Amino acid sequence: MSSPMIHAVGVRKSYGMIDVLRGVTMSVARGEVACLIGPSGSGKSTFLRCINHLEKHDAGVLNVDGSFVGYEQRGAKLYELNDKEICAERARIGMVFQRFNLFAHLTALENITLGPIRVRGLDEKVAIARARELLDRVGLRDRDGNYPSQLSGGQQQRVAIARALAMDPKLMLFDEPTSALDPELVGEVLDVMKDLAHSGMSMIVVTHEMGFAREVADQVIFMDEGIVVEAGAPEQMLSQPRSPRLVNFLSKVL
Amino acid sequence: MNGDEPLEVVPVRHYRQWLAAAGVALGAAMLVHALLAKIPTGLWNCVTTHGQRRCSPVLQWRFHWDVVSQYFTTGPILRGLLMTIELTVLSMVAGILIGIVVAVMRLSRNRLLSSVAWSYTWFFRGTPVLVQLIFWFNIAALFPTLGFGIPFGTVFFKVNVLSVFTKFVSVLVALALNEGAYMSEIVRGGILAVDEGQVEAASSLGLTRLQTMRLVVLPQAMRVIIPPTGNEVISMLKTTSLASTVALGELLMSVEHVYNSTYQVIPLLIVASLWYIVISTVLSVGQFYVERHYAKGSLRTPPPTPVQRLRADLSGIGRKLRERPSFLRTATSR
Ligand SMILES: Nc1ncnc2c1ncn2[C@@H]1O[C@H](COP(=O)(O)OP(=O)(O)OP(=O)(O)O)[C@@H](O)[C@H]1O
Ligand SMILES: [Mg+2]
Repeated sequence: MSSPMIHAVGVRKSYGMIDVLRGVTMSVARGEVACLIGPSGSGKSTFLRCINHLEKHDAGVLNVDGSFVGYEQRGAKLYELNDKEICAERARIGMVFQRFNLFAHLTALENITLGPIRVRGLDEKVAIARARELLDRVGLRDRDGNYPSQLSGGQQQRVAIARALAMDPKLMLFDEPTSALDPELVGEVLDVMKDLAHSGMSMIVVTHEMGFAREVADQVIFMDEGIVVEAGAPEQMLSQPRSPRLVNFLSKVL
Repeated sequence: MNGDEPLEVVPVRHYRQWLAAAGVALGAAMLVHALLAKIPTGLWNCVTTHGQRRCSPVLQWRFHWDVVSQYFTTGPILRGLLMTIELTVLSMVAGILIGIVVAVMRLSRNRLLSSVAWSYTWFFRGTPVLVQLIFWFNIAALFPTLGFGIPFGTVFFKVNVLSVFTKFVSVLVALALNEGAYMSEIVRGGILAVDEGQVEAASSLGLTRLQTMRLVVLPQAMRVIIPPTGNEVISMLKTTSLASTVALGELLMSVEHVYNSTYQVIPLLIVASLWYIVISTVLSVGQFYVERHYAKGSLRTPPPTPVQRLRADLSGIGRKLRERPSFLRTATSR
C-alpha cells in the first residue's frame, strides 16, 4: 500500500496565546478530492498553510507524500530543512487563494511562466508553450496579454489555477477559491476545478460550496475550533451528520 | 413660442474669475518688465552733429542678460555643470542601492539586521548633510590610514585615507550615505505598500525570498517609490552645490570662481540657476516616462504622454468652438 498524500496526526499550531490548531488528524489518499468545511476561525486556512509550510506547525506529525513537512528524517532524527529545500517542497504543491493574488505587474501569461522559468529552470519557449496550453484548458486562450486588472474575478481565479498547475503539482490546495466572486462567476471556476478533479489530481478544497462538495468530493472533513470533528463520504456527512456541531453548521450554510 | 425649436444655452459668466485673471496678468506683465528693463549706467553717450552736441544716457540690462549669455556656455561653467551632473547621478545611484539594502535589512526578521538598519537611518537623517560633508572631507584627520583585518587582531591590508578620499570622493561618500538613509525609508514604504498576498503567492510557487523580493515585490513597489525618488534626484541636483564649501569645482563653485574676479555676482548666479532649472526640467520629463513604464498592470489604460494630451486638448477646444450646446425642447418641458 502506498503512503497517503496527506497524513496528519495531532497537528498543533498557536499564535501566541491563541491555539488555532489543537490536534488536527486526517488522511487524504492520492488522487482524492477532500473538501474542508467549517465555521469561520476554525483553522481551515491555517491548516492549509501548514501543508505547504507557509506556516510552521508547532507539534504533531504532518506528512505530505510520505515525507515530513519542513523536516527530513535521517535515522531517528528529524533535521529541519533549509530555505532552499523548503522552496523545492513548495514548488510541488499548488495553492489557489481566495483573493487570487495574481502578480499585478505581470500579464496572465507571465504570471503562469514565472514559476516554471525561475524555479524549475524551464526554457522560456517551452514554458510559454505550456502556459498557452494551460490558458486554453481554463478557457482563457486569448487573454494571455491581459494584466490582472483587466480581467474579471472569475478570469483571474482561472489564471491563478493555471499558474499553480504550471508547476506540475502533485497536490493542489484551494482556500475558498470562489468566496470573493460574484455569484454568476462562481460556476466557471468550479467547472475548471471539477475538470481537474476528474483528471485525478489530489486536491484539498476549503469551501462553502456544499453543492460542489457533494458532487466532486471523495471525502468531506468538518473542522471546528482547531480539530477535525467529523470526516466521511459527502453523502453521509451532508445528509446524515452525526455530531451536533456539524448539524448546527449545516443548518446555517445549506 | 413653438415647442420644437432648440433652446439656446446661456453659459454662466464668471466675472470674478475674469477679474482675478486680469490681476494675475498685470502682475506677470510687471515681472516681465522688471526682468527686461534697462537702467542708466551713469555714463553718457554724446555726438556732435553740425556743431550741435547731443547727449543721451547709456543704458544697460538691469539683470545683465548680456553677461549671462556671455558666460552661459563657457568652458569653466560647462565643466562645473558636468561635475554637478556626475555627482548627482553617482550619489543617487549609490544612494538608491544603499536604500534598497537598508530597507530590506530593516524589514528582515533578524533583529540585529533590522536594528542596524534603523540606526543607520536614525543617524544619517538626524545630522545635517553639510556637517556630514565636511566630516568626510576631514576624515583623514581621524583615520590617517584604514586597515582591514580582524578587530584587535591582524591587519591584512592598509589604505592611505588621504589618497583615497579626494575632494570628489569625500563629497560623493557624504551625499550617497545621506541619500541612502532617505531612500531606505522611501523604498521601505514602497515594499510595505505591496499586498502581502503577492509574497504568499510567490512563496507558494517555490520562489526563494530573494527572488520574491526581486521579481515580485520590488517591481510593484516601484510605482510607489518613483515619485518621491524623482523628488530626491532633483533635490540632490541642488544639494551638490554644498560641495562648493569644500571648494570642489561643481557648478556653483565655477560661477563663484568667475564672479570672485569680475564681481558680477547676480548675473553669474543667474547662469547657475538657469542650468539647475534646465537639468531639473529634463529630470522631470524623465520621471514621467519612468512612472509610465512602471504603471503597467496597475492601470487599465496608461496615462497619456504630454503630446497625446496636447492633441486631445486641442481637438477638445476645437469641438467646443464648433458646437454651442443646446437642448431640444421636449414636449413635456414648458
Ligand atoms: N498570523 C496570525 N496571528 C494571530 N492569529 C491568527 C493568525 N492567523 C490566523 N489567526 C487566527 O487563527 C484563527 C483561525 O484562522 P483561520 O484563518 O485558519 O480560520 P479559517 O477557518 O480559515 O476561517 P475563515 O473561514 O474565516 O477563512 C482565527 O481566530 C484567526 O484570528
Ligand atoms: Mg480561511
